[in-house]
Amino acid sequence: MRKFWIIAKEVYKKNVKSLGFITMILSPIILVAIIGVIIYLISNTDIFSQDDTIAIVSGDESVRSALVETEFTAEKDLSITTEAEAREALAAEEIVGYIMASEENNTLTAEFVHTSRNNSQAVAILSSQLTAYQNALRGGALGLSAEEVNQLFEPARVSESVVRVEDGEIIDQDMTEYAIKLGSAYAVGIGIFIFIMTYAGIIAEEVASEKGTRIMEVILSSVSSTTHFFGKLVGVLFICFTQIGLYIILGIIGYQVFKDAEFVQQYIGGIDIGEILQSLLGFTLIFFIIGVFMYVVLAAFFGSLVTKIEDVNKAVTPIVFIAMIGFYGGLFAFGAPDQPLVLILSYIPLFTPFIMPFRIAAETVTQSGVWISILASGVFAVLLTFVFIEQVVLFKLAVCESFCNSGEDSKPDPYQRKDDPGSCPLSVYKSLKKIVKSCQWKHYRSDSICNFT
Amino acid sequence: MLEVKQLKKSFGDLIAVDQLDFTIKKGEIMGIIGQNGSGKTTTFRLILDLLQPDTGTVLWNGKPFRKKEYDSVGYLPEERGLYPKVSIEDQIVYFAQLRGKKKKEIIPLIDEWMEKFQVKGKRTDKVKTLSKGNQQKVQLICTLIHEPELIILDEPFSGLDPVNAGLLELGIKEAKEKGASIIFSSHNMNNVEEICDSLIMLRDGEMILKGSVQSIREQFGRTKIFLETPITAEVIKQMPGILSIRKTIDGLLELTLEDEKYGKAIFDLVTKDGYIQTFSQQPPTLEEIFKRKAGEIHA
Repeated sequence: MRKFWIIAKEVYKKNVKSLGFITMILSPIILVAIIGVIIYLISNTDIFSQDDTIAIVSGDESVRSALVETEFTAEKDLSITTEAEAREALAAEEIVGYIMASEENNTLTAEFVHTSRNNSQAVAILSSQLTAYQNALRGGALGLSAEEVNQLFEPARVSESVVRVEDGEIIDQDMTEYAIKLGSAYAVGIGIFIFIMTYAGIIAEEVASEKGTRIMEVILSSVSSTTHFFGKLVGVLFICFTQIGLYIILGIIGYQVFKDAEFVQQYIGGIDIGEILQSLLGFTLIFFIIGVFMYVVLAAFFGSLVTKIEDVNKAVTPIVFIAMIGFYGGLFAFGAPDQPLVLILSYIPLFTPFIMPFRIAAETVTQSGVWISILASGVFAVLLTFVFIEQVVLFKLAVCESFCNSGEDSKPDPYQRKDDPGSCPLSVYKSLKKIVKSCQWKHYRSDSICNFT
Repeated sequence: MLEVKQLKKSFGDLIAVDQLDFTIKKGEIMGIIGQNGSGKTTTFRLILDLLQPDTGTVLWNGKPFRKKEYDSVGYLPEERGLYPKVSIEDQIVYFAQLRGKKKKEIIPLIDEWMEKFQVKGKRTDKVKTLSKGNQQKVQLICTLIHEPELIILDEPFSGLDPVNAGLLELGIKEAKEKGASIIFSSHNMNNVEEICDSLIMLRDGEMILKGSVQSIREQFGRTKIFLETPITAEVIKQMPGILSIRKTIDGLLELTLEDEKYGKAIFDLVTKDGYIQTFSQQPPTLEEIFKRKAGEIHA
């Protein structure tokens, strides 16, 4: 047990102290910050900035004064009163545009001449302002009071309420709750994917580097391969928890600092943070942990198949593909949670963490269905671990292969093909085949898998 | 005490180690020699239980060698490996901890060991900043610092210059004095002759020589004569039983005999006028035996 913690600590220390860990922690934050800044800039960018000036020209003084009172983002230059002056000012770039409005037989016409290409917002303001003015004018002509005009143009009241039908009963659906569940399912999908990619890489690298540098032999003459493997696994999981912990702390600090800021209020003011956290705990958390665990074990296994650290990326590729299928399955479930394909995929362990949260959010799965999928994933994760460990394939394989492929002082592997570089997909396939065989032939010690071709 | 009995291991049709039998007592050093691919590394892996033998047993102090004995092992694999991004100190401490030592037991020993092997660098230096030779010395420290009782060194001398090889010899002898059973492989016969109490030679997994260095050499008879004499090679060549005569760099005549019994007649011939400075009748050197035995493969 002591050696187990020594290994876990070593893995933890080595990775947390590395520059890679700091960039790993910071990169999502930076990414989110950049996206936030972009969104902020876009939403605050009007056609005109506050320094811009426009002019209002009209033959009718009452129309003009109505427009002068209207709020545009740009300043208004009231000294300009004729079109000629306005064009001159525009040519001299003193103003960025001018509005020319006129009234005839209670019909208003306006032209907005400006240099900006994107103007829908200002035109919309202009249009609604002039329409209201025109309504008042025409109402006046018909002998209606302002009150009557308002009544005339009052829109009909339309409201919406979403329900679902369960056992013949109509039940009200809380749309915010649904949105929150869906949002957290989405967040978990992305979160699992990012964590899997990161930690699969880390553990595969851990395994491959020791194998590549032959440290494995020294370690395996010190501790059992089971202790070694679990030590590594736990070390990597602790790194994962550290990262999550840091995000929670940063999140709390960030929330405390910025919660009163205007732009934060604008976007998350209406959302109940407590409710989101509540939905993130519970099933979502279970799926997250099981998901990361399954993929990390799988990554350790694939990492043990290669002999050189340079080949880690190749070895991890199958995991990336599996996770990608899960991730896109999740996106598909987002749009169509009732599809039979989604239903099937949601019970397949490696895909469950991506897909089930969406089904929970859409309430297309019963509580027992969720537990079945959790159980299936849990059993799969444990089996995945023990099939490889109990057979001691994982690391004995390393020793065995180093015998088959190592330098001059070993006999050549009589079954090693000359054209086989040792780490190509073919050899991964061969290794897998060996493992499958050695699992079938339990009486064979794992180290004799060199015998299989 | 390490006892290896009737050890056999094959990989498919290929017999890597066959009928291996030897004993290393406490405070004894055994060398394994043999050509590349003769089964030396496999033997080490079998002893360490990294590979499972087809037949045979490995006993450590009378009991089967099992994983709980790992704390008393010091193993230097043939292909060296350290974590490149870890400091010398952390590296040594980590491996010692895996051998059941406590951090505070090891920390005070590091300076002494680094001095003993003359490692150039500070203990906080990262391993990757060291030269290959120094990395190798750090790994030797990792192998020896926890005072193992069973030391297995796979080609420990390869890549070391004579000065460093001398330091390693001293280190091995020191461990021997502390009572460790030591087994190592080497291609350098001088190292083997210098420090081994006993020796085995493997060829295609088979043990073809076994015993102390001296007794193995004696098995081949004292068929070499080195002498310094005014009598010319042509005259000596007339004597019976001489296979070849050669002049060595330092001016001695080196005679190879069919059998050691012809030595006496040659001695009589070269000393008929009385005093000569050199007459030495010797068994072949280990290197010659190695070459001769290895050559028999192709015969």
